[in-house]
Formats: sequence, structure tokens, C-alpha cells
Amino acid sequence: MKRMMLLTVILAIGLCGSVFAQQTGEDFLGAPVIEGKVISKTEGRLEIRTPLSHDEALAFYKKQLEGMEDIRYRNWPDQSYIEDDSNRPWHSVTIDKESENGTKVVIMKDNWTWIIGTLILRYVAVFVVLLVLLVGMTVSSKIITKAEKK
Amino acid sequence: MTANEILDLLYGTLRTTGIWNFQWNVVVMWAIGSFFMWLAIVKKFEPLLLLPIGFGIFIVNFPMVPLMGTTDGRPELIQAFYHYGLEWEIIPCVIFLGLGAMTDFGPLIANPKTLIIGAGAQLGVFITFTGTVLAGFTLKEAASVGIIGGADGPTTIYLTQHLAPQLLGANALAAYSYMAMVPLIQPPIMKLMTTQKERVIRMRQLRPVSRQEKILFPLITAGIIALLVPSVIPLMGMFMLGNIMKESGVVARLTDTAQGSLMNIVTIFLGVSVGATMHADKFLSWKPLFIFGLGLVDFAVCTIGGILTVKIMNKFLKEKINPLIGAAGVSAVPMAARVAQVEGMKYDKTNHLLMHAVGPNLAGVIGSAAAAGMFIAMFD
Repeated sequence: MKRMMLLTVILAIGLCGSVFAQQTGEDFLGAPVIEGKVISKTEGRLEIRTPLSHDEALAFYKKQLEGMEDIRYRNWPDQSYIEDDSNRPWHSVTIDKESENGTKVVIMKDNWTWIIGTLILRYVAVFVVLLVLLVGMTVSSKIITKAEKK
Repeated sequence: MTANEILDLLYGTLRTTGIWNFQWNVVVMWAIGSFFMWLAIVKKFEPLLLLPIGFGIFIVNFPMVPLMGTTDGRPELIQAFYHYGLEWEIIPCVIFLGLGAMTDFGPLIANPKTLIIGAGAQLGVFITFTGTVLAGFTLKEAASVGIIGGADGPTTIYLTQHLAPQLLGANALAAYSYMAMVPLIQPPIMKLMTTQKERVIRMRQLRPVSRQEKILFPLITAGIIALLVPSVIPLMGMFMLGNIMKESGVVARLTDTAQGSLMNIVTIFLGVSVGATMHADKFLSWKPLFIFGLGLVDFAVCTIGGILTVKIMNKFLKEKINPLIGAAGVSAVPMAARVAQVEGMKYDKTNHLLMHAVGPNLAGVIGSAAAAGMFIAMFD
């Protein structure tokens, strides 16, 4: 009787576990991982080659990330770029458009290099905008002053 | 009629009043609303905005008031102002139209170098962004909090509404409160960041600017901004439209309306709508408090950024710039320029810095709009 109960408990736990595993699927830093061969895996980067086409891979991620806030999809000429703008552990999923021998999918960890890098770039860009304006104003002022003198 | 029926009647009547649905957290919001009304009425801190904002906070925090919801799918009064004015991002742009119609860009055109100060003073915007991300805010929220340091109310509201509308009330309130407190926040930083010798630097009188230059300026600026930061052109385009209306001198009636009646009307709707977003259920959390704290740091770092930019520029310039005017790069027009003037006169009673400070002050408006545009481009 005790053995039967133990077996039932083990079976129940196993069943729950398998159901849970099916529901959540595999993930890398919380980002869903598409089926395929793992090419390389480090703490902050996972590269997979999936047999699915680019469109199928994109559809997979759109379905998996459906309903999540602050997810942005960018359609670039050579790849699709899915970016997380909130504070999830992963930062981006890149899906290559070139699909020879499968589609390359790369998941990147959220990192401060990106945040700091983009911030510095944008701060410099504010200077660039105002510098261009400075040049425009200086040139126009000189032209007007010359015209007025004439 | 039996006693029970009378009691039922009373009970039914009571249920339709706010008393029955009273929650204690609204009392805190009444206090906050009253505090901002006190700042406006007694202390005269940004009264045009803090008074309607304070009243908006106060009135919306009564139970069952039909102001910020929908009835039968129809928006209630302030919800309609908020929806059409802020969610559609119309009010900040109309305010910029009015500001443009009020602004004389002469000092900036006469000394265009001061544009660089306006860029330098955006330092706090980007540093605060980092701090806010560290505190657990999302990137979009961090951008909207960071822009507070730009000290430009309409830009803060525009960006926040665009990226993190849930923070609109807290961000707008922090921006306008700190803008009003510029005379208290900036002087100690200005003193700390400059030497006695630097504070008495005299600047050459600005050259007169011709009408043609003033007419051309909004066209050049709008063109450059549209090319480089197109996402912020609703704001800057309207700003420059208002300015060209003023400088052209041919549409005096429109200019008067833009800088007078129209500006006043939208200011009422803006203030009360922003205040009304601050319901106790949404507002009473650690986030607004954090935003207020970080907003102060943001302002301080922006001030430091402006002053440091002048100091760096002085290394390369023959004619030195008084670094006190660097503090005016945070925008907050014209308060920050006045602070530079007052602080300058403390050290040399005959050194008038006001017109020199107006240049970086206006550059700060353009700089903060450019920073906002960078953030919008980053997330859209």
C-alpha cells in the first residue's frame, strides 16, 4: 500500500513536471528558445541555427512574446531585431534573413554596455544637432550681414 | 412608509454620495494638492501651472466624482481634456506655439556659440536615465524621468506622454516644481562650480540682430531639427511657427492669439489634466517619491553640465564666457537667465549677464527638445 502511494506521488510529480515543462518551454535568460542546433552558448549570448525559415522564426517569437509589454520589433534589411525595452534579463533576439543551412537566431543578455553606449552616443548627438545649428546660423548671419552692407 | 423603508431610502441615498465610498488614502492626495496650491498662491511658484495642477489633484481624489473615467463609453470632463489634449499630444505643441510667439531669439543669434551650452546642460538628462534604470524603472520610464532635468515643462510632458504616460503626473509635477525652485537650487551649485575670478568675467555687449536674421532663424532651426531629429518636430515645428509669426510682423493678430488667449486656454486644460492623472490609487507608491528625489539630482547635474561646458569652451576661446551663464543652459526660461543675472551682480554690481544668459537659456529649450527626440527615436 505504501509503495503504491509512493509510486502515485512520484507519478503525480512527474506528470506535473512534464506539463509545466511543456507550458514554459526552454528559455535563455527568460527569452524563449527556438528549436534548432546550438552553435555557441556563453553566459550572455546564445546562437542557434534553426531549420525554420526567417518568417517562421519571427512568427514563433511574435507568438511567444505576445502580450508582453515594451517589446519592439525592427525590420532591418538583413535581419529582424526584437528588442526588450523593459528590464528583462535578455536584451535582444536577432533573426537573420539569410536562410542557407537554416536560420541563425541570436539571443543577447541585457547589458550595461548597450545602455551606456547608446546614452553617450545620444548625448554626443545633441551636441551635433546644436553644432549643425550653430554652423547654419553663423553662415546665414554672415550672408545677411554681407548682403546688408552691399 | 415603515421605518425600514425610510432607512432603506436613506441608505440608498447615502450610497450615491462620496461619504459611503470614502478611502483614507485620498486625504494624502488632498494634502499634496493643497500643498501645490499653497506654493502657487502664497509662494507664487509657477502659479499658472501649479494652481490648476494642485486643484486637479484635489478634485479628482474624491470618491465617485465623474471626472477621469468614462460614462456609457463617453469620456468624462477632465478625461476628455486629457484624451484630446495630452494623449493626442496636442497641448504641449500648442504651448510651444505660444512660447515661440513670445520668444526673442536675438541674444542667441547674436552669440550662437551659446548653443553648445544648451547641449552641455543636457548632461543630467542622460545621467539620470542611468540612475533610473538602476532603480528598476523600464528604459522608457527612465527616459521620461531623465528629461525632467531639461527643465522644459512641455517637452517633459510630450516625452512622458509618448513613452511612459503612467508617470505623467509625477514627472510634470517634478519638472514644474523644480523649474519654480531654480532660484533656490542653482545658486549654491553655481558658487561651488566657479571661482571668484570667473564670476566677474565681463562679456562684450551683444551685437544688434537684423530682422532678416530673426526671420531666417526659425526656418533654419526647423529645417535642421526636421532633418536630424524628425521625431521632435511636432514640438519644434510649432515653436518655430510661433516665432516666425512674431518676427515676420505680418500676422500680429495670430501672434497675439498664440501668445495670449490660446496659450492661456491650453494652460488651464494642461494643468487640470495633469493634476487629474494623480489619483491616490495610482500615485501613492515609491515611484513618484523617487522621481522627485532624482529630479532634483537631475537639475543639479544639468546645471553642472552647463557650467562645465562653459569652462571647457573658455579653454579654447579668446573672449571668455562668464560660466555663471552656463547654469541657464537648463532651459527654465526665463527664470534660469534671471538667476545668472542676480548671481553675477552679487560679485560685480555693474556686470549685467541677463541678455548673455538668454542665449544658453533658449539653447537649452532646443537642447532638451533634441534630447527628447533622441529618446523617442530610441524607442519608436
